[in-house]
Amino acid sequence: MSNKVTDLATGVEGLFIKNTRFNTTCISCNFYLPLKKETAAEYALLPFILTSCGSRYPDFSRLNFELERLYGASLNASAEKYGDYQLLKMSVTVINDRFTLDGEALIKQAADLICGLIFEPKVQDGAFYESDLAREKRKAIEHIKGEYSEKRIYAKNRLIEEMYKGEPYGVAKCGKVEDVEKITGKSLYDAWNRMLETAFIRVNVVGAEVPAGLFEDLTERFARVSRHDITNCKSSAPTKPSAAPRTVTETTAVNQGKLVMGFSSDLYGNDANTLPLLVMCDIFGGGPYSRLFTNVREKMSLCYYCSASSLRQKGLLTVESGVETDNAEKALTEILNQLEIIKKGEFSDFEYDSSLKSLADTFNAYNDSQDSIESWYALKVNNDEIYSPEEIAERIKKVAREDVINAAKGVKLHTVYKLLPENKKDEGKEG
Amino acid sequence: MKREFFESEIGESCVKAVHPSGLKIYILEKPQYNSAYAVFGTKYGSIDTCFSANGEKLTVPEGIAHFLEHKLFESEEQDAFTRFAATGAYANAFTSFDRTCYLFSCADEFYENLDILLDFVQSPYFTEKTVEKEQGIIGQEIRMYDDSPSWRVMFNMLMAMYHNHPVRIDIAGTVDSIAKIDYKLLYKCYNTFYNPANMFICIAGNVDTEKVLAIIEAAVKTDEPVEITRYSEDEPAEVVKPYVEQRFAVAQPMFCFGIKESFPTPERSIKEKVCTSMLIELLVGDASPLYERLVNEGLINDEFSTEYFNGYGYSAIVFEGESSDPKRVAEEIKAEISRLKEDGVDKKLFSAVRRGMYGAAIKQFNSVENIAMQMIDCAVTGCELFDELKYLKALTAEDVYRRLLQLDPENSTLSVINPLEVL
Repeated sequence: MSNKVTDLATGVEGLFIKNTRFNTTCISCNFYLPLKKETAAEYALLPFILTSCGSRYPDFSRLNFELERLYGASLNASAEKYGDYQLLKMSVTVINDRFTLDGEALIKQAADLICGLIFEPKVQDGAFYESDLAREKRKAIEHIKGEYSEKRIYAKNRLIEEMYKGEPYGVAKCGKVEDVEKITGKSLYDAWNRMLETAFIRVNVVGAEVPAGLFEDLTERFARVSRHDITNCKSSAPTKPSAAPRTVTETTAVNQGKLVMGFSSDLYGNDANTLPLLVMCDIFGGGPYSRLFTNVREKMSLCYYCSASSLRQKGLLTVESGVETDNAEKALTEILNQLEIIKKGEFSDFEYDSSLKSLADTFNAYNDSQDSIESWYALKVNNDEIYSPEEIAERIKKVAREDVINAAKGVKLHTVYKLLPENKKDEGKEG
Repeated sequence: MKREFFESEIGESCVKAVHPSGLKIYILEKPQYNSAYAVFGTKYGSIDTCFSANGEKLTVPEGIAHFLEHKLFESEEQDAFTRFAATGAYANAFTSFDRTCYLFSCADEFYENLDILLDFVQSPYFTEKTVEKEQGIIGQEIRMYDDSPSWRVMFNMLMAMYHNHPVRIDIAGTVDSIAKIDYKLLYKCYNTFYNPANMFICIAGNVDTEKVLAIIEAAVKTDEPVEITRYSEDEPAEVVKPYVEQRFAVAQPMFCFGIKESFPTPERSIKEKVCTSMLIELLVGDASPLYERLVNEGLINDEFSTEYFNGYGYSAIVFEGESSDPKRVAEEIKAEISRLKEDGVDKKLFSAVRRGMYGAAIKQFNSVENIAMQMIDCAVTGCELFDELKYLKALTAEDVYRRLLQLDPENSTLSVINPLEVL
């Protein structure tokens, strides 16, 4: 039983995901735009500035006061990658009306709040206010710089950047510091207009019912927007196999190194096409039964962590591990050896069965988390048919050993990124 | 088994049962859910390094509770991960300052998984050889945490705040301390703290209470209770030093600022915790004037967070984040505490924040994992599941003001991580 979308305007979909088990209702507005170096930074700033103040709430303590009054409604903003597209998300989650002390219509107020923030920003003469802009730019720059502090995230980002040089997917999800610095109140205002006019838009509601008048209100608001050149987010380019794998090595002041590997897969696109890749990747480096965990980490003690993940939109498989410098080469060789074992079909029935069971179990539990469910459907805009997690759980069980072997055969090493400790010199001292 | 039923005004109810062995069991049914979350835990964490069991006094190496957690997954035949892999469940464990918990979550085969959990936690298997191998693995884990600035900034603060209390030592211990662990010590600790009378089981989700209790009844060993006494050296009220700094490969400074408190009794009640959380919100929560000022003056960003850090024998109000000027952030917080002591708390803000906290508490009941974590708190600290909602409703601005007057912001430590060089 697939959920049906409602067309609210050209390229604007409303999706009601009925789920009565939660104490809260979540309304999430997702904007999909092409991921480009020139626009990534300013688009990424939009969800944050729009949810920090608005024409009705000129400063954020007034906005936050209102959120507290709405029984701690939580307002969330993010900028993510969705294949070759940038996904700007603004959402509000609020407790259901029946929990209020005086029967207030909370959900309706929360829906009005988020629509107001998106459509009625605090602007003047076609520009965002300098003070709001400066605040959000500073936060964005600190956020981008902050990724360097957590080396696991930093190493993965560097791999992607190297692997997709000059391609949309290689663009950082929040842009570069120098691009954030260039943003002006006027340029951001123009970006806001382009977002409303050209993004593909999906509004997901997860809860017992659609907030009264929400979809009608959105239809009315979009009727006043000139919608044109709408982003077609169905066509992320697959990862091109590399003729010869490339290795990038960098050093920094750390104790432990990071070894990250990127592989291209010939399976990409929608769920139905890519399930064998998902299973293969899980047997390779998913749960504690996986080849990488049991062999590279447990038996050989080459890494403290070693795991694999895949991204169906791009046909990308990555392996992340934490290694001592002396073990980095051995770990790399062994990770590739484990991939060969899967290609040859020499994985056990136990590993295969455990993987199918674990993945099916995970998908069957998705509906118990409001956030997981919302993001599940937010990442399903390029599928012709929208499957529920339970439907995918059923399909997973039908992925055969042969499918897994074939998926592995299409996986090729593309880029290796190593972040290794510098030669010991000036170690940090406590003061 | 002795049972109690607890109902809340938000339509949730839970059962608390006590096994003849003294094991506490909490169950909250969620029949609409697909999955369930189960925890088998013990009131035993990194701070329990000096204790007596039935009169025998022992001091054990730092990090041993965490070490034991790692080793319990193993057995003579199949390790626990392998057994859970056969059912498809997600399994894990964690050790904190005052507890060690083993858990699984699953949508299918819940009762089979419960059997596995009950069995492996009650079946220790430690040998000289397996202990030696683990020393290498945990050594790597400790080194990994040494590379994490967000972990170091907090433990640097605790070391500069506490003279003697074991909360100052990393949960995993040090490479030196874990080298002193052997399998005999592990059995000693296991036999002391993994006694059912010191343990708890917490389950939330799509389960049948009667069936769960029957399985537990059949599987739990009825060992004689062990009398545990925890010792600690006296902890002076004052911090060790007000400032500590370390350099790291980070792009911008990070800080952890904590106000140390001491009380005549070692543990804080749920009422005190709710009241303190509210105080922190009024002081520097999202809707507070100080928060807005700190953001607008470029002193904090979205990484800023607060915590009422407390447990057996320790209590501190902690503010953490990234800042170009951590010293000024600490000064601003201190100044705001003084101002609030003068001016009193803003009643309008208090009412709004209380609604916000009430809504947030209700939201917690969306997640079987969060419910199980709250039940663990109940088991370890002796409160009941719906107490937070109850106390929030009864809380007044005067309560918060009285709590505020207890704070001595000068008895505090600022820990800073600075970049290696200015980038």
